[in-house]
Amino acid sequence: MATVAVPQLSGYHRPAVLDWIMTVDHKRLGILYLYFTLFFFAVGGILALLVRTQLAVADNSFVGNDAYNQIFTMHASAMLFLFIIPVWAGFGNYLVPLQIGAADMAFPRINALSFWMLPPAGILMFAGFIVDGGAADGGWTAYSPLAQQTGVGMDMWIIAVIVLGMSSTIGAANFLVTMFRMRAPGMTMFRMPIFCWTMLVTALLQLLATPVLAAALVMLFIDRNYGGQFFDPNGGGNVVLWQNVFWFYSHPAVYIMILPGMGIISEILPVFSRKPLFGYKAFVFATIGIGGLGFSVWAHHMFTTGSVLLPFFGFMTFMIGVPTGVKIFNWLGTLWGGSISFPTPMLFAIGFVSMFLIGGINGTYSAAVPVDFALHDTYFVVAHIHYVLFGGSVFAVFGGLYYWFPKIWGRQLNERLGKLHFALMFVGFNVAFFPMHMLGLDGMPRRIAVYADSAGWEALNMLSTGGAFLIAVSMIPFLIAVVMAFMRPKDQPDDPWEANTLEWATTSPPPDYNFDSLPPVRSERPLFDARHGDEEQGH
Amino acid sequence: MLGMPLSRRLRLISATVAAALLALMATATASAIQPGGITDEARKMNDLFWIVTIAGLVVFVLVGAALVYAMIRYRRQGDELPPQFHGGGKIEVAMVGVPVLIVIALFTISMITLVDIDDPAEEDALTVEITGFQFSWQFSYSMADLGTNTDPNADPEDRINIIGTLQPIDTPDDEIRPVLYLPVDEEVEFILISNDVIHSFYVKDFLYKLDLIPGRVNSFAVTPRVTGDYSAQCAELCGTNHALMRFIVRVVERDEFDAWVAAEAARQLGDDALVSSPGTQGD
Repeated sequence: MATVAVPQLSGYHRPAVLDWIMTVDHKRLGILYLYFTLFFFAVGGILALLVRTQLAVADNSFVGNDAYNQIFTMHASAMLFLFIIPVWAGFGNYLVPLQIGAADMAFPRINALSFWMLPPAGILMFAGFIVDGGAADGGWTAYSPLAQQTGVGMDMWIIAVIVLGMSSTIGAANFLVTMFRMRAPGMTMFRMPIFCWTMLVTALLQLLATPVLAAALVMLFIDRNYGGQFFDPNGGGNVVLWQNVFWFYSHPAVYIMILPGMGIISEILPVFSRKPLFGYKAFVFATIGIGGLGFSVWAHHMFTTGSVLLPFFGFMTFMIGVPTGVKIFNWLGTLWGGSISFPTPMLFAIGFVSMFLIGGINGTYSAAVPVDFALHDTYFVVAHIHYVLFGGSVFAVFGGLYYWFPKIWGRQLNERLGKLHFALMFVGFNVAFFPMHMLGLDGMPRRIAVYADSAGWEALNMLSTGGAFLIAVSMIPFLIAVVMAFMRPKDQPDDPWEANTLEWATTSPPPDYNFDSLPPVRSERPLFDARHGDEEQGH
Repeated sequence: MLGMPLSRRLRLISATVAAALLALMATATASAIQPGGITDEARKMNDLFWIVTIAGLVVFVLVGAALVYAMIRYRRQGDELPPQFHGGGKIEVAMVGVPVLIVIALFTISMITLVDIDDPAEEDALTVEITGFQFSWQFSYSMADLGTNTDPNADPEDRINIIGTLQPIDTPDDEIRPVLYLPVDEEVEFILISNDVIHSFYVKDFLYKLDLIPGRVNSFAVTPRVTGDYSAQCAELCGTNHALMRFIVRVVERDEFDAWVAAEAARQLGDDALVSSPGTQGD
């Protein structure tokens, strides 16, 4: 494959920095997204270590109660709004045009706008730490009336989240148009790579749900600053209304945070099993099903408010286990009968399946309404979200980084370091988060800055803190591998993994506008078809 | 790809994963052994907890075993391409059918338990008004509504109130926490009120919590069956000292409860508050 898709223009050359700032190239924007989000993953991680240090021993005064509330609020805000949600936009930006055989996103300038809204929002949110009253400290859920009481950091947080929401809304529109209008000849919707499908459903969720959050945040802002009383019972407002509108966005947001991760491992598992994804269409429909059902389960976050139609939301919450179960079958069926190898991306993908399995099972406890009465707002729920969003999403992020690193940067990450990274992270993750199940069952509420010695929670908390630091240590081999890779020349072939999808049909990294020519697309695995011709049937 | 022979590497990996899965299962089982709760309602909820746990463990062991088996059995042994199987009708029906059956069963059992524990309180149940505030609790008993031993001549305006104070962060001992007295084996109804922000009334040994919401009155009823002291605390983030909104639930025999009421009434309302002395009305 030739390297150059368009002739290089000679003459004026912009400085490299300006080149990055002014770029509208989906690949460069994707890389910017990845750098930005991984930076906030590190920031959120450091905040998590502060949380875990504070909770390591009983009656601790490492950070004060005020600071603690700011720290865990900003940990969640960074991880959710500045890392997980935009990191998928990063992968999506880089990969969706390549995977569908397009030259760029449908609206490259809007794409640049989506990205450049993030840094000001991130800075604004974190600038809360230097203003009077500190950063937002009402939890990432910002429940009213508590959210009415805190300082100006809360207003900065609200504006930042609105801006981030606008970024993901216009980004979502861009993804949808790109996938609907710019697919390569022959690529029907049901031949689209599975990662694209998960991005498509994610974009739909963002388009439908994020404006609701924006509206709610504007109302909260008015309440705080201009006496709006939307959520203030003394003025005729309703406290529970905030929770309804917040979770109407934020439950679909959980799927916004996990579906692209499912897409990533559904690219990785078939490649290293040397088989097609088992039940491609079932997977697509399950993804759509999760997206649809995701809009009807929000009140399961509110069972203990006493103002929820319990049977309906309990039932819908159980039902969302069905498409989730289908996906587990998809992944098992893909491995089954395969020819499986275990390079680092595959380890992270299998790590995802096993941890997400636990995250699915411990979620059913909250669907069983009477059990949720006991476990809601305890560390059991903290365990659950981390099994889904760390054991799931974060493992998928790293699986995706190891998998597409040769494509994006033209270099391979060291396998031994990658495996060490995986092993440390897998063990650290379980040591950090599994004990939280026991703490929750033993009655430890979430979001408490201190606990009494007499509560008997110290040993498990200490264990969990040890696990958190082990996760931090696991980043060392990863960073070494990245530095080592960047010290080497770009030596990767088009398709180092014998993969299936079109991004591997161009050079590593791809040239401007991506492709000189495209292989014919006659299935969801055009590169497999090109390698094996008609010798292997099965389509 | 790597120096180590393929099979050795795979055995190592699979052994690691299998061990990790086993360890997880062991801890899951151990962790699930939680106290069953001290109220009638809690015991029913605990039964449901165990049903969900057993169902979850069965799913976990089956899927986990299949995953580990597939990783060992189908590891790459040569360049030959495996059969390119895309899935098919019957298996995909099972993929949907099995989870549907599991979740419908669990949902049905959950609803049965929910209806079972959600009975409204009896007329003569003791009523305690619980007010959460930043950052402690007030427990308020009406002298005209002390459950089975209510004095019919008591003034409904007469209340005894236990009002907590903010607990210093470095006081580890429990003495300073407000104490919620309850008589054993009698139904008690809690009326939950908040005038500032949302709190949550969470007693671990009830296996239950319910939020205190400004502008809304929530209530629930339980029947404690085991005497003793149970530590409890606020479960909804409510501000700086949320972690210090701790309290004690003290379940005592009826006569001890009456003696406590008499002492508190004398202290708070004066000697004439009690028309007749408690402990003599019971029948």
